[in-house]
Amino acid sequence: MNIEVSGLRVNYGDVRAIDDMTFSLDGGKIYGLLGRNGSGKTTLMSVLAGFRRESGGTVRVGGHPVFENAAITREICLIRDAGETIDIDKVEDALYFAEWLRPHWDAAYAGELLDRFGLRRNMKVKEMSKGQRSALGVVVGLAGRSQLTMFDESYLGMDAPSRYAFYDALLADFMEHPRTIILSTHLIEEYSSLFEEVVIIDRGRLVLHEESQTLLSRGTSVTGPAGQVEAFTAGLTVLGAKRLGPTASAMVYGDLDEAQRRKAREAGLELGPIAMQDLFVHLTEGSGDAAPAVPAADASANPFGDAR
Amino acid sequence: MRFPSRLLAAQIYFAGILWAAFYAVTTLITICIAIFGTLDRSVWEGATQVPRWFALFVGVALVREFLPLYIAHGQTRRQFGAQAAVTVALYAPVLSALLVVGYLLETLLYSVAGWTQELARPHLFASPTQVPLVFTEYLVEFLVWIVAGTFMGAAFYRWQGGGLLSIPFGIGLVVLGEAAIGADLRLPFISMPLGVVSTPTVLTALATGLGCFLLGLAMTWPIIRDVPLRNRLT
Repeated sequence: MNIEVSGLRVNYGDVRAIDDMTFSLDGGKIYGLLGRNGSGKTTLMSVLAGFRRESGGTVRVGGHPVFENAAITREICLIRDAGETIDIDKVEDALYFAEWLRPHWDAAYAGELLDRFGLRRNMKVKEMSKGQRSALGVVVGLAGRSQLTMFDESYLGMDAPSRYAFYDALLADFMEHPRTIILSTHLIEEYSSLFEEVVIIDRGRLVLHEESQTLLSRGTSVTGPAGQVEAFTAGLTVLGAKRLGPTASAMVYGDLDEAQRRKAREAGLELGPIAMQDLFVHLTEGSGDAAPAVPAADASANPFGDAR
Repeated sequence: MRFPSRLLAAQIYFAGILWAAFYAVTTLITICIAIFGTLDRSVWEGATQVPRWFALFVGVALVREFLPLYIAHGQTRRQFGAQAAVTVALYAPVLSALLVVGYLLETLLYSVAGWTQELARPHLFASPTQVPLVFTEYLVEFLVWIVAGTFMGAAFYRWQGGGLLSIPFGIGLVVLGEAAIGADLRLPFISMPLGVVSTPTVLTALATGLGCFLLGLAMTWPIIRDVPLRNRLT
């Protein structure tokens, strides 16, 4: 299902959580929704799922308005930390209602996922650990097979093996049953390989929406002799820099054209990719965040200390 | 509209388990009174003060637990409202029937043991064996208490502390319903006779019960029709 958001505003009393947001997402892809705490991610997804009404602007999913539109909301699933779909006595009770209310519920797959996450049907939800509750939310979200499925920080409390089990299950099920999936997360590096496109929001406004690869191509690490690195990065936007003796490494934001790349190679500099998380931090930081191109040699007791 | 089979079944299942436990405890108390004291009245009659509070709790839980569940599973508030209304309308008779069964089992126990099963409070019925009247009285009571719980639960869910303002209106609904069956109003710290309807009739009671039910739904709907789901329940 495609999503069209135009001039979206959401107010909580005097506070504007979403401010004039406009974007559109094609159906059948996995999107990463990134933003700092309080940036409006949960609010945005809540509006997309019909959990709350927009204060202004329009939200259309599959070409139709969402709020109180049963034909659309039945195809949408948002799993939040609040646990609306699971906070009901036992695991089997949560599945009992999911099976009844979800039009595309796959009970066999739900059972398979329960086994994968080590959950038992007779477990009391309120006595489960945070990670187990998150895992149950994942089970409900995936087995619902909704055309638009959204997970809002659904990894909270899950240990690393469980998180990896989630990523594997998500990807495998997406390949078998393509649909639109939106993942909101702070674990950007763990999730980034899943994202086909990334939406970054900050303080209720859209910062960026583009393909993951395009975003990643905007950042480059430059490594080599400190003097050469400093000379090469002069005038560029430097996200961060590290220094070890005579060698320095700087992260640069912005496209490097072929001439610049050739110049770097001629100077003996090595160019490489940088992490999506570093780009995210740069894009959501306040102004004046650029780091010095190369930190002083004694700037940190840690020889590879982050100078940012 | 889809019939709320699973919502209703879940409520009835829970009520059935609680009723069995409640009946066992009440019977135990009855036997203890008979052995260690003087048993000259229906203990079940006194015990039926408790289920109305359970009914209130069910009304609150409908909004607090099941409204978010429904919305999160892609249902609309309108769909939930309709299914909740049908659930309450069918659930109240079930609770009432369970109390009727309790009275009949108590009658059987008292007659076997040779005890006197007198009623201590004014009712629509004069004897616990007047099944239709017993059923009607508790039906009205449960309808009103559940819908009062639904209304107050909705107000607290939407406005949290501001929900306190709904309590007088909720109590008003309950008083109206209790008055229709000529019962005493027994709330915490308050116990007073309600002789508003001097000689309550089945028709009056049913009409008032239905009226209170519809009024309670009408008061609840404006609160939930566009209520946002809260991010976290505290």
